Amino acid sequence: MTPEFILLSLVVVTALAFDFTNGFHDTANAMATSIATKALSPKAAVTLSAILNLVGAFLSVEVALTVTNAVIRIQNPDGTPRADLVADGGYALLLILMAGLAGAITWNVLTWRLGLPSSSSHALFGGLVGATVASLGWAGVKWIGEGTKLDGVVGKVVLPALISPLVAMVVAMIGTRLVFWITAKLSRRYQESGFRWGQVATASLLSLSHGTNDAQKTMGVVTLALIGSGYWTSTTEIPLWVKFACALAIASGTYIGGWRIIRTMGRGLVEVFSPQGMAADSASAAVILTSSQLGFALSTTHVCTGSIIGSGLGRKGATVRWLVAARMGLAWIVTLPAAGLVGAAMWWTAHLIGGLGGGAAIFAIMCAVAAYLWWHSKQDPVSHDNVNDEWNDGADTSTDNEGVDAPAGVAGGAN
Amino acid sequence: MDQVLAALDATWRILLIGILLGAGLPTLFAVGVRALAWGGTDGAPTPGVRPPLRGRIVAYAAFGIDIIAVLLGIAYIVLHGLGINVTFNGVIPIFTPKH
Repeated sequence: MTPEFILLSLVVVTALAFDFTNGFHDTANAMATSIATKALSPKAAVTLSAILNLVGAFLSVEVALTVTNAVIRIQNPDGTPRADLVADGGYALLLILMAGLAGAITWNVLTWRLGLPSSSSHALFGGLVGATVASLGWAGVKWIGEGTKLDGVVGKVVLPALISPLVAMVVAMIGTRLVFWITAKLSRRYQESGFRWGQVATASLLSLSHGTNDAQKTMGVVTLALIGSGYWTSTTEIPLWVKFACALAIASGTYIGGWRIIRTMGRGLVEVFSPQGMAADSASAAVILTSSQLGFALSTTHVCTGSIIGSGLGRKGATVRWLVAARMGLAWIVTLPAAGLVGAAMWWTAHLIGGLGGGAAIFAIMCAVAAYLWWHSKQDPVSHDNVNDEWNDGADTSTDNEGVDAPAGVAGGAN
Repeated sequence: MDQVLAALDATWRILLIGILLGAGLPTLFAVGVRALAWGGTDGAPTPGVRPPLRGRIVAYAAFGIDIIAVLLGIAYIVLHGLGINVTFNGVIPIFTPKH
Protein backbone atom coordinates (compact mmCIF):
# COMPACT_ATOMS: atom_id res chain seq x y z
CA MET A 1 0.00 0.00 0.00
CA THR A 2 1.43 3.30 -1.11
CA PRO A 3 1.03 6.42 1.03
CA GLU A 4 -1.13 7.89 -1.76
CA PHE A 5 -3.49 4.93 -1.53
CA ILE A 6 -3.85 5.38 2.22
CA LEU A 7 -4.48 9.11 1.76
CA LEU A 8 -7.05 8.33 -0.93
CA SER A 9 -8.79 5.93 1.46
CA LEU A 10 -8.90 8.63 4.12
CA VAL A 11 -10.42 11.08 1.62
CA VAL A 12 -13.07 8.55 0.61
CA VAL A 13 -13.96 7.82 4.25
CA THR A 14 -14.09 11.55 4.98
CA ALA A 15 -16.32 12.18 1.96
CA LEU A 16 -18.71 9.44 3.10
CA ALA A 17 -18.70 10.92 6.59
CA PHE A 18 -19.62 14.27 5.07
CA ASP A 19 -22.45 12.59 3.15
CA PHE A 20 -23.66 11.11 6.43
CA THR A 21 -23.68 14.54 8.14
CA ASN A 22 -25.42 15.94 5.07
CA GLY A 23 -28.15 13.36 5.61
CA PHE A 24 -28.80 14.00 9.28
CA HIS A 25 -28.47 17.73 8.89
CA ASP A 26 -31.18 17.79 6.24
CA THR A 27 -33.75 15.34 7.62
CA ALA A 28 -35.39 18.38 9.15
CA ASN A 29 -35.92 20.10 5.80
CA ALA A 30 -38.42 17.57 4.60
CA MET A 31 -39.75 16.14 7.83
CA ALA A 32 -39.71 18.84 10.55
CA THR A 33 -43.25 20.04 9.91
CA SER A 34 -44.71 16.52 9.56
CA ILE A 35 -43.13 15.57 12.88
CA ALA A 36 -44.29 18.77 14.58
CA THR A 37 -47.91 18.31 13.47
CA LYS A 38 -47.80 14.59 14.30
CA ALA A 39 -48.80 13.76 10.72
CA LEU A 40 -46.06 11.17 11.09
CA SER A 41 -44.44 9.76 14.20
CA PRO A 42 -40.78 10.81 14.52
CA LYS A 43 -39.55 7.29 13.76
CA ALA A 44 -41.88 6.85 10.78
CA ALA A 45 -40.82 10.24 9.38
CA VAL A 46 -37.08 9.53 9.45
CA THR A 47 -37.62 6.03 8.06
CA LEU A 48 -39.71 7.32 5.15
CA SER A 49 -37.25 10.11 4.48
CA ALA A 50 -34.27 7.73 4.60
CA ILE A 51 -35.87 5.32 2.13
CA LEU A 52 -36.73 8.12 -0.28
CA ASN A 53 -33.22 9.54 -0.01
CA LEU A 54 -31.82 6.10 -0.80
CA VAL A 55 -34.12 5.74 -3.81
CA GLY A 56 -33.28 9.28 -4.91
CA ALA A 57 -29.55 8.64 -4.64
CA PHE A 58 -29.81 5.59 -6.90
CA LEU A 59 -31.98 7.46 -9.37
CA SER A 60 -29.29 9.99 -10.09
CA VAL A 61 -27.22 8.34 -12.79
CA GLU A 62 -26.03 11.72 -13.93
CA VAL A 63 -22.41 12.35 -12.97
CA ALA A 64 -21.89 15.42 -10.80
CA LEU A 65 -18.17 15.25 -11.38
CA THR A 66 -17.83 18.97 -11.93
CA VAL A 67 -19.36 19.87 -8.57
CA THR A 68 -16.28 21.79 -7.37
CA ASN A 69 -16.18 23.87 -10.56
CA ALA A 70 -18.88 26.09 -9.11
CA VAL A 71 -16.49 27.74 -6.68
CA ILE A 72 -12.90 26.63 -7.22
CA ARG A 73 -10.51 25.95 -10.07
CA ILE A 74 -9.04 22.52 -9.47
CA GLN A 75 -10.75 20.79 -12.38
CA ASN A 76 -10.73 21.15 -16.15
CA PRO A 77 -14.08 21.85 -17.82
CA ASP A 78 -14.48 18.13 -18.65
CA GLY A 79 -14.17 17.19 -14.99
CA THR A 80 -10.64 15.83 -14.97
CA PRO A 81 -8.40 17.33 -12.30
CA ARG A 82 -5.81 19.95 -13.25
CA ALA A 83 -2.62 18.26 -14.36
CA ASP A 84 -0.38 20.18 -11.94
CA LEU A 85 -2.42 18.94 -8.98
CA VAL A 86 -2.05 15.25 -9.82
CA ALA A 87 1.64 15.34 -10.70
CA ASP A 88 2.70 13.72 -7.43
CA GLY A 89 0.28 10.80 -7.42
CA GLY A 90 -2.59 13.18 -6.76
CA TYR A 91 -1.23 14.30 -3.39
CA ALA A 92 -1.96 18.03 -3.93
CA LEU A 93 -5.52 17.37 -5.07
CA LEU A 94 -6.24 14.84 -2.32
CA LEU A 95 -5.00 17.25 0.33
CA ILE A 96 -7.31 20.02 -0.89
CA LEU A 97 -10.30 17.65 -0.93
CA MET A 98 -9.38 16.20 2.46
CA ALA A 99 -9.00 19.62 4.12
CA GLY A 100 -12.14 20.97 2.46
CA LEU A 101 -14.25 17.99 3.54
CA ALA A 102 -12.83 18.15 7.06
CA GLY A 103 -13.79 21.83 7.27
CA ALA A 104 -17.29 21.08 6.03
CA ILE A 105 -17.81 18.22 8.49
CA THR A 106 -16.52 20.25 11.42
CA TRP A 107 -18.96 23.06 10.64
CA ASN A 108 -21.86 20.65 10.08
CA VAL A 109 -21.30 18.93 13.41
CA LEU A 110 -20.91 22.24 15.24
CA THR A 111 -24.15 23.69 13.86
CA TRP A 112 -25.90 20.41 14.67
CA ARG A 113 -24.69 20.72 18.26
CA LEU A 114 -26.21 24.22 18.33
CA GLY A 115 -29.42 22.87 16.77
CA LEU A 116 -29.09 25.21 13.80
CA PRO A 117 -30.05 24.18 10.29
CA SER A 118 -27.25 25.26 7.98
CA SER A 119 -26.59 24.41 4.38
CA SER A 120 -24.41 21.33 3.86
CA SER A 121 -23.55 22.39 0.33
CA HIS A 122 -22.42 25.80 1.56
CA ALA A 123 -20.30 24.08 4.19
CA LEU A 124 -18.75 21.89 1.47
CA PHE A 125 -18.13 24.86 -0.81
CA GLY A 126 -16.75 26.85 2.13
CA GLY A 127 -14.35 24.10 3.15
CA LEU A 128 -13.13 23.67 -0.42
CA VAL A 129 -12.72 27.43 -0.93
CA GLY A 130 -10.68 27.69 2.27
CA ALA A 131 -8.46 24.74 1.40
CA THR A 132 -7.97 26.09 -2.13
CA VAL A 133 -7.03 29.58 -0.97
CA ALA A 134 -4.49 28.05 1.42
CA SER A 135 -3.06 25.84 -1.29
CA LEU A 136 -3.35 27.75 -4.57
CA GLY A 137 -3.93 31.31 -3.40
CA TRP A 138 -6.87 33.63 -4.00
CA ALA A 139 -6.78 33.07 -7.75
CA GLY A 140 -7.68 29.41 -7.24
CA VAL A 141 -11.17 30.45 -6.26
CA LYS A 142 -13.89 31.39 -8.73
CA TRP A 143 -15.36 34.31 -6.84
CA ILE A 144 -17.85 35.53 -9.39
CA GLY A 145 -19.26 34.16 -12.64
CA GLU A 146 -18.78 35.82 -15.99
CA GLY A 147 -21.61 37.69 -17.67
CA THR A 148 -25.14 36.58 -16.90
CA LYS A 149 -24.31 32.94 -16.16
CA LEU A 150 -24.72 32.56 -12.42
CA ASP A 151 -21.47 31.06 -11.21
CA GLY A 152 -18.73 31.32 -8.62
CA VAL A 153 -19.07 32.11 -4.93
CA VAL A 154 -21.31 35.10 -5.65
CA GLY A 155 -23.62 33.49 -8.19
CA LYS A 156 -23.84 29.99 -6.71
CA VAL A 157 -23.70 30.74 -3.00
CA VAL A 158 -24.15 34.36 -1.91
CA LEU A 159 -27.01 35.54 -4.14
CA PRO A 160 -29.11 32.36 -3.82
CA ALA A 161 -28.66 32.45 -0.03
CA LEU A 162 -30.00 36.00 0.08
CA ILE A 163 -32.86 35.46 -2.34
CA SER A 164 -34.19 31.91 -1.90
CA PRO A 165 -35.40 32.12 1.73
CA LEU A 166 -37.32 35.30 0.94
CA VAL A 167 -38.98 33.80 -2.13
CA ALA A 168 -39.97 30.67 -0.19
CA MET A 169 -41.24 32.85 2.64
CA VAL A 170 -43.53 34.84 0.35
CA VAL A 171 -44.88 31.72 -1.38
CA ALA A 172 -45.55 29.91 1.90
CA MET A 173 -47.16 32.99 3.40
CA ILE A 174 -49.58 33.35 0.50
CA GLY A 175 -50.36 29.62 0.51
CA THR A 176 -50.95 29.51 4.26
CA ARG A 177 -53.19 32.56 4.20
CA LEU A 178 -55.32 31.13 1.39
CA VAL A 179 -55.55 27.69 2.98
CA PHE A 180 -56.68 29.04 6.34
CA TRP A 181 -59.09 31.45 4.65
CA ILE A 182 -60.78 28.62 2.76
CA THR A 183 -60.94 26.26 5.73
CA ALA A 184 -61.74 28.92 8.36
CA LYS A 185 -65.20 27.52 9.13
CA LEU A 186 -63.97 23.96 9.60
CA SER A 187 -63.30 22.46 13.00
CA ARG A 188 -59.70 22.42 14.11
CA ARG A 189 -59.65 18.66 14.50
CA TYR A 190 -60.99 18.06 10.96
CA GLN A 191 -58.53 20.62 9.57
CA GLU A 192 -55.66 18.77 11.20
CA SER A 193 -56.71 15.32 9.99
CA GLY A 194 -57.73 16.54 6.53
CA PHE A 195 -54.33 17.99 5.68
CA ARG A 196 -52.15 15.18 6.99
CA TRP A 197 -52.08 13.22 3.76
CA GLY A 198 -51.22 16.29 1.74
CA GLN A 199 -48.45 17.06 4.16
CA VAL A 200 -46.93 13.59 3.97
CA ALA A 201 -47.07 13.61 0.16
CA THR A 202 -45.25 16.94 -0.18
CA ALA A 203 -42.71 15.97 2.49
CA SER A 204 -41.98 12.78 0.55
CA LEU A 205 -41.44 14.76 -2.63
CA LEU A 206 -38.90 16.91 -0.81
CA SER A 207 -37.03 13.84 0.50
CA LEU A 208 -36.80 12.25 -2.94
CA SER A 209 -35.55 15.45 -4.48
CA HIS A 210 -32.94 15.75 -1.72
CA GLY A 211 -31.65 12.24 -2.41
CA THR A 212 -31.15 12.91 -6.12
CA ASN A 213 -29.38 16.23 -5.55
CA ASP A 214 -27.21 15.87 -2.49
CA ALA A 215 -25.88 12.32 -2.74
CA GLN A 216 -24.64 13.23 -6.21
CA LYS A 217 -22.30 15.88 -4.85
CA THR A 218 -20.40 13.42 -2.68
CA MET A 219 -20.31 10.89 -5.51
CA GLY A 220 -18.69 13.62 -7.62
CA VAL A 221 -16.07 14.42 -4.99
CA VAL A 222 -15.16 10.75 -4.40
CA THR A 223 -14.87 10.09 -8.14
CA LEU A 224 -12.71 13.18 -8.54
CA ALA A 225 -10.37 11.85 -5.85
CA LEU A 226 -10.23 8.47 -7.60
CA ILE A 227 -9.41 10.07 -10.96
CA GLY A 228 -6.80 12.32 -9.34
CA SER A 229 -4.94 9.36 -7.90
CA GLY A 230 -5.26 7.26 -11.03
CA TYR A 231 -7.75 4.63 -9.81
CA TRP A 232 -10.48 5.67 -12.23
CA THR A 233 -10.42 7.30 -15.64
CA SER A 234 -13.96 7.76 -16.98
CA THR A 235 -15.48 11.21 -16.63
CA THR A 236 -18.91 10.04 -17.75
CA GLU A 237 -19.40 7.20 -15.30
CA ILE A 238 -18.84 6.65 -11.61
CA PRO A 239 -17.82 3.36 -10.00
CA LEU A 240 -20.79 1.34 -8.79
CA TRP A 241 -19.38 0.96 -5.28
CA VAL A 242 -19.13 4.75 -4.98
CA LYS A 243 -22.80 5.06 -5.80
CA PHE A 244 -23.76 2.37 -3.28
CA ALA A 245 -21.56 3.80 -0.54
CA CYS A 246 -22.81 7.37 -1.00
CA ALA A 247 -26.46 6.32 -1.18
CA LEU A 248 -26.11 4.29 2.00
CA ALA A 249 -24.22 7.07 3.78
CA ILE A 250 -26.81 9.76 3.09
CA ALA A 251 -29.73 7.43 3.83
CA SER A 252 -28.30 6.22 7.14
CA GLY A 253 -27.53 9.82 8.10
CA THR A 254 -31.12 10.72 7.33
CA TYR A 255 -32.36 7.78 9.39
CA ILE A 256 -30.25 8.75 12.41
CA GLY A 257 -32.06 12.07 12.16
CA GLY A 258 -30.62 15.36 13.31
CA TRP A 259 -33.18 15.61 16.10
CA ARG A 260 -31.83 18.89 17.39
CA ILE A 261 -32.33 20.52 14.01
CA ILE A 262 -35.71 18.90 13.49
CA ARG A 263 -36.74 20.32 16.85
CA THR A 264 -35.59 23.83 15.99
CA MET A 265 -37.29 23.84 12.61
CA GLY A 266 -40.50 22.11 13.67
CA ARG A 267 -41.00 23.65 17.10
CA GLY A 268 -38.57 26.52 17.51
CA LEU A 269 -39.48 28.89 14.69
CA VAL A 270 -43.25 28.86 14.81
CA GLU A 271 -46.08 26.65 16.05
CA VAL A 272 -46.95 24.51 13.01
CA PHE A 273 -50.37 23.05 12.25
CA SER A 274 -51.15 20.58 9.47
CA PRO A 275 -52.60 23.01 6.88
CA GLN A 276 -49.65 25.28 7.48
CA GLY A 277 -47.20 22.39 7.25
CA MET A 278 -48.63 21.38 3.91
CA ALA A 279 -48.44 24.97 2.64
CA ALA A 280 -44.83 25.25 3.81
CA ASP A 281 -43.75 21.93 2.27
CA SER A 282 -45.53 22.70 -1.02
CA ALA A 283 -43.86 26.10 -1.19
CA SER A 284 -40.46 24.47 -0.59
CA ALA A 285 -41.02 21.78 -3.22
CA ALA A 286 -42.25 24.28 -5.83
CA VAL A 287 -39.37 26.70 -5.23
CA ILE A 288 -36.72 23.93 -5.21
CA LEU A 289 -37.95 22.24 -8.40
CA THR A 290 -38.45 25.54 -10.27
CA SER A 291 -34.99 26.73 -9.27
CA SER A 292 -33.36 23.50 -10.34
CA GLN A 293 -35.07 23.88 -13.72
CA LEU A 294 -33.68 27.43 -14.05
CA GLY A 295 -30.20 26.40 -12.93
CA PHE A 296 -30.47 28.54 -9.80
CA ALA A 297 -28.32 26.74 -7.22
CA LEU A 298 -30.12 27.19 -3.95
CA SER A 299 -29.83 25.45 -0.62
CA THR A 300 -32.73 23.23 0.46
CA THR A 301 -32.11 24.27 4.04
CA HIS A 302 -32.60 27.96 3.30
CA VAL A 303 -35.75 27.35 1.29
CA CYS A 304 -37.39 25.09 3.87
CA THR A 305 -36.60 27.45 6.73
CA GLY A 306 -37.95 30.39 4.74
CA SER A 307 -41.14 28.44 4.01
CA ILE A 308 -41.71 27.57 7.66
CA ILE A 309 -41.27 31.20 8.71
CA GLY A 310 -43.58 32.28 5.87
CA SER A 311 -46.23 29.81 7.01
CA GLY A 312 -46.04 31.44 10.44
CA LEU A 313 -46.46 34.90 8.93
CA GLY A 314 -49.45 33.64 6.94
CA ARG A 315 -51.43 32.26 9.88
CA LYS A 316 -53.13 34.90 11.96
CA GLY A 317 -52.33 34.55 15.63
CA ALA A 318 -49.05 32.73 15.00
CA THR A 319 -45.85 34.10 16.46
CA VAL A 320 -42.59 33.76 14.64
CA ARG A 321 -39.70 33.49 17.07
CA TRP A 322 -37.47 35.98 15.31
CA LEU A 323 -34.62 35.46 17.76
CA VAL A 324 -34.37 31.83 16.67
CA ALA A 325 -34.66 32.90 13.03
CA ALA A 326 -31.93 35.51 13.54
CA ARG A 327 -29.57 32.90 15.00
CA MET A 328 -30.17 30.79 11.93
CA GLY A 329 -29.62 33.72 9.60
CA LEU A 330 -26.34 34.43 11.34
CA ALA A 331 -25.29 30.79 10.96
CA TRP A 332 -26.05 30.95 7.24
CA ILE A 333 -23.93 34.03 6.74
CA VAL A 334 -21.09 32.53 8.73
CA THR A 335 -21.24 29.04 7.12
CA LEU A 336 -19.09 29.71 4.06
CA PRO A 337 -16.33 31.76 5.76
CA ALA A 338 -16.30 29.57 8.89
CA ALA A 339 -16.06 26.28 7.00
CA GLY A 340 -13.48 28.05 4.83
CA LEU A 341 -11.33 29.03 7.80
CA VAL A 342 -11.42 25.49 9.15
CA GLY A 343 -10.64 24.12 5.69
CA ALA A 344 -7.68 26.48 5.34
CA ALA A 345 -6.39 25.69 8.84
CA MET A 346 -6.67 21.97 8.10
CA TRP A 347 -4.74 22.37 4.86
CA TRP A 348 -1.94 24.31 6.56
CA THR A 349 -1.72 21.78 9.35
CA ALA A 350 -1.40 18.93 6.87
CA HIS A 351 1.02 20.89 4.72
CA LEU A 352 3.34 21.72 7.64
CA ILE A 353 3.45 18.12 8.79
CA GLY A 354 3.74 16.95 5.20
CA GLY A 355 3.22 13.65 3.45
CA LEU A 356 0.78 11.01 4.56
CA GLY A 357 1.21 12.08 8.18
CA GLY A 358 -0.35 15.45 7.37
CA GLY A 359 -3.48 13.90 5.90
CA ALA A 360 -3.73 11.46 8.79
CA ALA A 361 -3.29 14.30 11.29
CA ILE A 362 -6.21 16.36 9.99
CA PHE A 363 -8.31 13.21 9.77
CA ALA A 364 -7.57 12.63 13.45
CA ILE A 365 -8.30 16.26 14.37
CA MET A 366 -11.63 16.12 12.57
CA CYS A 367 -12.59 12.87 14.34
CA ALA A 368 -11.61 14.32 17.70
CA VAL A 369 -13.69 17.48 17.20
CA ALA A 370 -16.72 15.49 16.06
CA ALA A 371 -16.37 13.05 18.95
CA TYR A 372 -16.04 15.90 21.46
CA LEU A 373 -19.16 17.65 20.15
CA TRP A 374 -21.07 14.38 20.20
CA TRP A 375 -19.98 13.73 23.77
CA HIS A 376 -20.87 17.31 24.69
CA SER A 377 -24.34 16.85 23.21
CA LYS A 378 -25.05 14.14 25.79
CA GLN A 379 -25.59 16.92 28.34
CA ASP A 380 -28.95 17.78 26.80
CA PRO A 381 -29.89 14.92 24.51
CA VAL A 382 -32.57 15.43 21.90
CA SER A 383 -34.04 12.26 20.41
CA HIS A 384 -37.24 11.00 18.86
CA ASP A 385 -38.64 10.88 22.40
CA ASN A 386 -38.45 14.57 23.19
CA VAL A 387 -38.16 16.19 19.76
CA ASN A 388 -41.70 17.54 20.04
CA ASP A 389 -41.52 18.83 23.61
CA GLU A 390 -42.65 22.35 24.29
CA TRP A 391 -40.16 24.93 23.09
CA ASN A 392 -38.84 27.13 25.83
CA ASP A 393 -35.43 28.63 26.12
CA GLY A 394 -33.97 32.09 26.33
CA ALA A 395 -34.99 32.76 22.76
CA ASP A 396 -38.58 31.81 23.39
CA THR A 397 -40.92 34.73 22.84
CA SER A 398 -44.16 32.80 22.70
CA THR A 399 -45.80 34.80 25.46
CA ASP A 400 -48.68 35.66 23.19
CA ASN A 401 -52.26 34.48 23.51
CA GLU A 402 -51.34 30.97 22.39
CA GLY A 403 -49.72 30.20 25.69
CA VAL A 404 -48.13 26.82 26.16
CA ASP A 405 -51.20 24.77 25.27
CA ALA A 406 -50.90 25.77 21.66
CA PRO A 407 -53.28 23.24 20.11
CA ALA A 408 -56.12 24.43 22.29
CA GLY A 409 -55.16 28.08 22.47
CA VAL A 410 -54.85 28.46 18.74
CA ALA A 411 -58.44 27.57 17.95
CA GLY A 412 -59.10 31.18 17.07
CA GLY A 413 -55.99 31.41 14.95
CA ALA A 414 -57.71 30.74 11.67
CA ASN A 415 -60.56 33.15 12.10
CA MET B 1 -23.74 43.49 -11.60
CA ASP B 2 -24.61 41.08 -14.41
CA GLN B 3 -24.74 38.35 -11.77
CA VAL B 4 -27.21 40.31 -9.66
CA LEU B 5 -29.41 40.98 -12.69
CA ALA B 6 -29.28 37.32 -13.69
CA ALA B 7 -30.26 36.33 -10.16
CA LEU B 8 -33.15 38.80 -10.12
CA ASP B 9 -34.29 37.51 -13.51
CA ALA B 10 -34.43 33.98 -12.07
CA THR B 11 -36.09 35.30 -8.91
CA TRP B 12 -39.27 36.64 -10.46
CA ARG B 13 -39.74 33.46 -12.46
CA ILE B 14 -39.28 31.29 -9.38
CA LEU B 15 -41.60 33.56 -7.41
CA LEU B 16 -44.30 33.45 -10.09
CA ILE B 17 -44.24 29.69 -10.64
CA GLY B 18 -43.71 29.17 -6.91
CA ILE B 19 -46.89 31.08 -6.08
CA LEU B 20 -48.82 29.33 -8.84
CA LEU B 21 -47.81 25.80 -7.78
CA GLY B 22 -46.50 26.19 -4.24
CA ALA B 23 -49.43 28.23 -3.00
CA GLY B 24 -52.02 27.19 -5.59
CA LEU B 25 -51.87 23.44 -5.04
CA PRO B 26 -52.35 23.52 -1.25
CA THR B 27 -55.16 26.02 -1.79
CA LEU B 28 -56.81 23.53 -4.12
CA PHE B 29 -56.32 20.84 -1.48
CA ALA B 30 -58.02 23.13 1.03
CA VAL B 31 -60.99 23.50 -1.34
CA GLY B 32 -61.25 19.70 -1.42
CA VAL B 33 -61.06 19.38 2.36
CA ARG B 34 -63.74 22.01 2.75
CA ALA B 35 -65.99 20.49 0.07
CA LEU B 36 -66.04 17.18 1.96
CA ALA B 37 -67.43 19.02 4.97
CA TRP B 38 -70.42 20.41 3.04
CA GLY B 39 -73.60 19.29 4.67
CA GLY B 40 -71.64 18.15 7.69
CA THR B 41 -71.95 19.28 11.26
CA ASP B 42 -69.69 21.46 13.39
CA GLY B 43 -67.35 22.23 10.51
CA ALA B 44 -66.53 18.61 9.75
CA PRO B 45 -68.12 15.78 7.75
CA THR B 46 -70.74 13.95 9.79
CA PRO B 47 -69.22 10.60 10.78
CA GLY B 48 -70.69 7.66 8.91
CA VAL B 49 -72.56 9.85 6.43
CA ARG B 50 -71.37 10.32 2.83
CA PRO B 51 -70.90 13.98 1.94
CA PRO B 52 -73.35 15.28 -0.69
CA LEU B 53 -72.52 14.48 -4.33
CA ARG B 54 -71.48 18.01 -5.27
CA GLY B 55 -69.08 18.02 -2.33
CA ARG B 56 -67.54 14.72 -3.40
CA ILE B 57 -67.20 15.84 -7.02
CA VAL B 58 -65.45 19.07 -6.06
CA ALA B 59 -63.24 17.31 -3.50
CA TYR B 60 -62.14 14.47 -5.75
CA ALA B 61 -61.48 16.85 -8.63
CA ALA B 62 -59.32 19.01 -6.36
CA PHE B 63 -57.45 16.06 -4.84
CA GLY B 64 -57.09 14.53 -8.31
CA ILE B 65 -55.33 17.59 -9.69
CA ASP B 66 -53.08 17.68 -6.62
CA ILE B 67 -52.18 14.00 -7.01
CA ILE B 68 -51.37 14.53 -10.70
CA ALA B 69 -49.18 17.50 -9.74
CA VAL B 70 -47.27 15.39 -7.19
CA LEU B 71 -46.84 12.56 -9.74
CA LEU B 72 -45.55 15.07 -12.30
CA GLY B 73 -43.17 16.37 -9.65
CA ILE B 74 -41.86 12.85 -9.03
CA ALA B 75 -41.56 12.25 -12.79
CA TYR B 76 -39.58 15.46 -13.11
CA ILE B 77 -37.18 14.49 -10.31
CA VAL B 78 -36.71 11.00 -11.79
CA LEU B 79 -36.05 12.34 -15.31
CA HIS B 80 -33.53 14.83 -13.96
CA GLY B 81 -31.83 12.08 -12.01
CA LEU B 82 -31.61 9.97 -15.16
CA GLY B 83 -29.83 12.83 -16.90
CA ILE B 84 -32.68 14.01 -19.08
CA ASN B 85 -33.41 17.71 -19.35
CA VAL B 86 -37.04 18.69 -19.48
CA THR B 87 -37.76 22.01 -21.15
CA PHE B 88 -41.16 23.50 -21.75
CA ASN B 89 -42.35 24.86 -25.03
CA GLY B 90 -45.45 26.55 -23.74
CA VAL B 91 -46.82 23.66 -21.72
CA ILE B 92 -45.54 20.83 -23.92
CA PRO B 93 -42.51 19.20 -22.32
CA ILE B 94 -39.47 18.48 -24.49
CA PHE B 95 -36.97 15.87 -23.33
CA THR B 96 -33.31 16.15 -24.22
CA PRO B 97 -30.36 14.21 -22.78
CA LYS B 98 -27.98 16.30 -20.70
CA HIS B 99 -24.30 16.45 -21.48
